[in-house]
Amino acid sequence: MRLAREMLVAVTVLVVAAGVLQLGQGVYIKAKAVLAQHLLEQAWARTQAGDHQVKPWAWADTWPLARIVIPSQHKTYILLAGDSGRTLAFGPGHHTGSPLPGEPGNSMISGHRDTHFSFLQYLANDDEIILETVHGKTKHYQVEQGRIMSADNAWVVDDDSVSRLTFVTCYPFNALQPGTAMRYVITAVEVDVDVVNTRPISL
Amino acid sequence: MRMLSRWVTGSAFIFYLYWSGAWQIAYASTDAEVRMQDISQGSLVFRSEGSKAYRQVPVVSTDVEMNITGMILRSRLKQTFENTSDQWVEAIYVFPLPEQAAVDHMRIKVGERVIEGQVKEKNQARKIYNKAKAAGKRAALTEQLRPNMFTNSIANIGPGETIVVEIEYQQLLQYKDGQYSFRFPMAITPRYTPGRSAVNDEARAMNSGWLTEEGNLQGSAAITPPVDIGNNKLNPVRMNIMLESGFPLAHLKSSYHAINSTQTEPGKYRIGFTDEVVYAKRDFVLSWTPEAGKQPRVALFSENKGTDSYHMLMVIPPEMDNTSQKTLSREVVYIIDTSGSMAGTSIQQARKALLMGLGRLDISSRFNIIQFNSVTHMLFQSSQMATPENINKAKYYVRQLQATGGTEMAPALQAGLNNQVYDQDIRQVIFLTDGSVGNEAELFVYIKQHLGNSRLFTVGIGSAPNSHFMRKVAEFGRGTFSYIGNVNDVDEIMRKLFRKLETPLMSDLVVDFPGSNLVDSWPERIPDLYDGEPLLVFWKSPGYGMGEIRIHGKRQNITWENTFPMSLAGSGKGISQLWARKKISELMGRQLTQGRNGVRKQVIEIALDHHLVSQYTSLVAVDITPVRSIATSLTKSKVPVNLPTGQHYTKIFGRLPQTATPAGMQIISGLLLLLLGWLARWKLMYWRVRS
Repeated sequence: MRLAREMLVAVTVLVVAAGVLQLGQGVYIKAKAVLAQHLLEQAWARTQAGDHQVKPWAWADTWPLARIVIPSQHKTYILLAGDSGRTLAFGPGHHTGSPLPGEPGNSMISGHRDTHFSFLQYLANDDEIILETVHGKTKHYQVEQGRIMSADNAWVVDDDSVSRLTFVTCYPFNALQPGTAMRYVITAVEVDVDVVNTRPISL
Repeated sequence: MRMLSRWVTGSAFIFYLYWSGAWQIAYASTDAEVRMQDISQGSLVFRSEGSKAYRQVPVVSTDVEMNITGMILRSRLKQTFENTSDQWVEAIYVFPLPEQAAVDHMRIKVGERVIEGQVKEKNQARKIYNKAKAAGKRAALTEQLRPNMFTNSIANIGPGETIVVEIEYQQLLQYKDGQYSFRFPMAITPRYTPGRSAVNDEARAMNSGWLTEEGNLQGSAAITPPVDIGNNKLNPVRMNIMLESGFPLAHLKSSYHAINSTQTEPGKYRIGFTDEVVYAKRDFVLSWTPEAGKQPRVALFSENKGTDSYHMLMVIPPEMDNTSQKTLSREVVYIIDTSGSMAGTSIQQARKALLMGLGRLDISSRFNIIQFNSVTHMLFQSSQMATPENINKAKYYVRQLQATGGTEMAPALQAGLNNQVYDQDIRQVIFLTDGSVGNEAELFVYIKQHLGNSRLFTVGIGSAPNSHFMRKVAEFGRGTFSYIGNVNDVDEIMRKLFRKLETPLMSDLVVDFPGSNLVDSWPERIPDLYDGEPLLVFWKSPGYGMGEIRIHGKRQNITWENTFPMSLAGSGKGISQLWARKKISELMGRQLTQGRNGVRKQVIEIALDHHLVSQYTSLVAVDITPVRSIATSLTKSKVPVNLPTGQHYTKIFGRLPQTATPAGMQIISGLLLLLLGWLARWKLMYWRVRS
């Protein structure tokens, strides 16, 4: 009985330690995603003031490219250059091979489905997306369509010179494990401000 | 003890459920709305009413007619645009042309009517076109995006209507190793524009006015046409070539397409595709050799135009006897592109070419290998002797090369050109790439400034390499450009290149023109000549060409000299335009170091004089009567093109990125573990109370 008890104590200590570690890592990822966006605001302010490729922290390999505001979801995010895993931990990232957000063509932006881009699942037709470029211009986009597709369908980056934003995130949204084979893809076309037909927004 | 084992089994079961993904299934099925759709990929979740997503794209087909006389090829491209939609369309078509092509005519054909295009300054041409477009008139605009890439914009194509745009250009044939050849590009490799590069800052610092990063990126967005990833059967091309070689041919070969040829009369051949049409996704290369003994050694042509005359001279230097050759010590640096666009057959070709190069190094040479994609990696810290051991190391390294990632070319060039530490007689940098970069201008500047004693040889790889870029790199690098389009060609082409690099060259070439100080000549600096390469010069002189032209150069301390009287010159139509094209290209090269403004003026002047499309001039054609009423709207649409043969779409753009974190899983498993710990603690307390 004593042996059993000692073993149970040992196992319990291990289990609790592992639990704390796992929980800690999970919370850390979420916290990093939220905190990084706050740190990025500063880099963004400097970018808008005219600085070029402002690294938000000394060892960063990315910099702010634009800011998006989604009024219907009360969300604001700073978009980063590049869409590597390291970058996406801090914010939605722009695919380097596609046109810059706000320029003519199809600009591709990816984000994590369980942090920054979880809101994509609530977007609907004609929702408005406001983009602020590094040059201080404001552009308006309207959600055009949403698709569920295989991650191999890279043709969403196709470019027909229409000014577009394509948002990509993993699907399904509530899967527990990362690395699913499907993606949720939302495209939004640029529109003139006065023709934006927005849903009533309760701010 | 039993309690403990029950506890362990119980928790093990929970973990099993968790890891097996059972949770996930239970979770996902609660979301009934999307569950119906998530089986088939590409399914539409929603689509906005009245969105532009359903827009139809116009389709294009091309008829090519070529006439080849002597050294000059004249080509007429008939592009037929068909609007398959029920709306008025403006079609935008991005298409490649040979990089030395001099585009001098464009016309629109609607039914029987023909509207001839005029060369105008670029902005002016655009204004004329936009005005006509807005007024509902038919109009076409031919603009140069890069010296080997052009766009045609065609305004106001009615629903179901067909419009033909004809373009004419001319180019000089390649003559090398006793063989004539030309390349007609039929596909565009999608390009990668680096987000940031080391050379960038340097280029910006030069303040040349147009090398800003922003400008570069915008350029990239503009030059990428939409790529079709469906059946890849767009743009059917028909080809009809009349070849007047003037001599019987020993050999006629199309490298990548099946052709038919018939000799209509002695020295005249008619050539076409065996299949009626070929889909534009791989470049067409035609080459021919004269019968033995009929190879020309000198070609001298003149054209009189206005008060000036234009001349071209091509000379094949005589061969040298082998006895006077001595072996020179060499350092060879191979730079190989392992970016995503090289995936597929391109990287195989590159590996094969590299292995062959390694096999040919003699033991007294030094060598190194540099590979680059998003990052640069060198085999050795600095060049090493070609000992069997080092060669084996290198061969192993080459076999491991994989293509993936971006194309950050600048650091690799830096590494290749900067480590000039050894005092070898010859330093040769061999650069294997498909050249799909967007920041060409910066790279040229870099090469020009840092070449030192090196010579840069480019090897174009893949079915549609960016040969403008590679030819230019070779020009700035004072080396040559070779092109491999097919895995089976690697041996032949690389053997030629390596043999050339191993043989002595003709250097210090100088040409004395008659009436030297009044002559405007190309090239600015005559490059070294390797085995089998001709010397080629163009020049313009006031009045008729008189006197004689003298050439002298050196081959391993032996002077070679030759004189040609101008009275020998034959008359060659189109020499003036070739001169103008070469001159523009030289001016554009100078722009990288001398700034834009002065160069722009000179380019416009030459282009207008010779009716040529250039970076600063475009062809525009406008019909007189409007066809579309202003009330009807006009939709703009790019004409899609095929992905070049042998390229994998997902390798260029990658798979869509990984966009989920393990956070959710970690939080839940963390909580579960804590719950288990809490249960165990409760159990322990229970035991303690009992005892």
